Amino acid sequence: MQRLKGIAITEGAAAGRAVLLVHRGRAIRFPIPAERIEDELGRLDASRGRSHMQLESIKQRISGGPGSELAPLFDAQLLILEDPMLIGRAAELIRTEHVNAEWAIQRAFDEIAQVFDAIEDPYLRERKGDVEDVVGRLRMNLHDGSAAPRDLLRDVHGPFVLIADELSPSVAAQIDWGRVRGFAMDAGSRTYHTAILARSLQIPAIVGLHDATARARAGETVAIDGTTGELILDPSPEVLRSLLARQPAPAEEAPAPAGPATTRDGVCIRLEANVELPDDVAVAQRYGADGIGLFRSELMLGGRPLEALGEDRQYEAYVRLVEGMAPRPVTIRTFDLEESPPPRRGTGGDAADRRQVEVERIRSPLGLRGIRLSLARPELLVRQLRAVLRASVAGPIRILLPFVSGVEEVRAVRQLIDTVRHELRAERLMAPDVPLGAMIEVPSAALIADLLAREVDFLAIGTNDLIQYTLAVDRTDERVSEFYRPLHPGMLRLLRLVRRAAARGGVPLSVCGEMASDPALLAVLIGLGLTDFSMTPGAIPGARRLIESVNAADLRAAARGTLALSTVDAIEQFLARTVAGVEQGSPLSGRLS
Amino acid sequence: MVSRAAIVRNSLGMHARAAARFVHAAAQFQSQIRVARGERVIDGKSIMGILLLAAARGTTLVISAEGPDEEDAVTSLCRLVETGLGEEPCSA
Repeated sequence: MQRLKGIAITEGAAAGRAVLLVHRGRAIRFPIPAERIEDELGRLDASRGRSHMQLESIKQRISGGPGSELAPLFDAQLLILEDPMLIGRAAELIRTEHVNAEWAIQRAFDEIAQVFDAIEDPYLRERKGDVEDVVGRLRMNLHDGSAAPRDLLRDVHGPFVLIADELSPSVAAQIDWGRVRGFAMDAGSRTYHTAILARSLQIPAIVGLHDATARARAGETVAIDGTTGELILDPSPEVLRSLLARQPAPAEEAPAPAGPATTRDGVCIRLEANVELPDDVAVAQRYGADGIGLFRSELMLGGRPLEALGEDRQYEAYVRLVEGMAPRPVTIRTFDLEESPPPRRGTGGDAADRRQVEVERIRSPLGLRGIRLSLARPELLVRQLRAVLRASVAGPIRILLPFVSGVEEVRAVRQLIDTVRHELRAERLMAPDVPLGAMIEVPSAALIADLLAREVDFLAIGTNDLIQYTLAVDRTDERVSEFYRPLHPGMLRLLRLVRRAAARGGVPLSVCGEMASDPALLAVLIGLGLTDFSMTPGAIPGARRLIESVNAADLRAAARGTLALSTVDAIEQFLARTVAGVEQGSPLSGRLS
Repeated sequence: MVSRAAIVRNSLGMHARAAARFVHAAAQFQSQIRVARGERVIDGKSIMGILLLAAARGTTLVISAEGPDEEDAVTSLCRLVETGLGEEPCSA
């Protein structure tokens, strides 16, 4: 038995078989019994076969028409696919080390990547990307070729405890969290995005464990103690028993009512869902969402480069989303991605060819990301706008721009939309007018919310980034996580400023960050006059319970009180006195002094 | 066995497309093809091997073949490399 100490994210305990997820390669290692080795080799070969057919068909498709200059690239990929250094090596690993095909492919690639990384010529070094593409395809095709790789862990049987080194949102979106009993992560802090996710899913979780993936063995029993923040490897039966005895029985879920929630004094609050994949519409419906307030379109990529996501595939995804949610509206946020910084040296080759759009996580939060990147690569934004405009025929759709920092960006996108609409009309396709909105997540955008309100049809506050930028706190740096304070007086003032600007400008304003899914913070936001929220679907029923138990007038009085205070501690104490009981959902009347 | 040297002429060196052309050409011959850059020797019919040689413009490669059509193979593969692998050769 061994105890590892981390930061507890959710209370509660869980135990189960450990599944290790090494994020870098998105590969999980699990042992294969000797009698299944042949099956595993069969999976590898089937994946090779499917990949071959796909690459052949892509090559055929593009070699006649526009983009034919890319055909030799797919020729190269076909050769890479058949090269013994990759598939042959992976098969050898399956045979000798009795591991799953995913892991074997990843290991074979890692070995090749090492050699590539040592290459001096930067252009040739980056050809690793060609191999990586093939590896990604092989990995995808290991799953019988049906649909998207929705559930990364579907080959792992039964519920389990997931131990990851780190977990990006795009990978998190490929996991069926219903089977995850507990979650532990090497990286992260309390405010890390995946920690937020675990909290909203109410899964016992510990982050900041540093080396749990190195210490835990796949398949062994592990336990999570969310109260002490410990991951216990191979716990003794006594420890396990006493730990699980504290765990409350899971509550039964009934489908939640839809439509707006109303406070006791009759203020209507709209609750929409943040959604990551088109298939999540069903989840949003189950929790009674009044629409999709935020569709994070970049998560459709699932780790593939942006260039790989064509207009038609996007169109189909958006239509599925809109039809699934109709008649309720769907807000699609354009890609919020970051471009990796340019290579340090060397110039040979086509510069545009070398840029790779980074999907895994935002590494440089002040860099070329969000709408900045979209405007720097307008061909990719145009493709997305075309898909959205075409899909808007299927139902109400809104376009939301991430990371807006000035009015110019909104104008530039408007122009592109006009051009795209003309194009579509010329192609005799319908292109209805679609509302355009801006995210308020950069402090400059918050400060000019009045100017932005003249240019857009709606505004949406992204609290996570707005807090990060306003308070200068890197959310991935656990050393400063204590400075991430949603109730900072600066935040409350900024939120009030934006709310007033939107009201004066007559544009709808919503809040779609994590702040809205915490009932105590939601109470403050309602008190500041906000009435539209979009949150993790699982948080909607709790928000509804809270709203139906309070008087908006009481919350407004409480919010006024907080705006007079100068420190976060004073604000929190004041709220604990006045809005106490909010978390339990009990009425507030009479509690205000 | 026949063996001859060739210098990579095209501006981007042995990148994916160029390597693919080379491997396709090599596959036309029955002979076993080897390509060496200094100490490193790889199978000339493996694209990964070619890519990992990291042969930038100006690199000297030694192409060898052993088999019934070894003379033809070396002549034609050397010419392919020297003429820029089907791309704009760079004289500089």
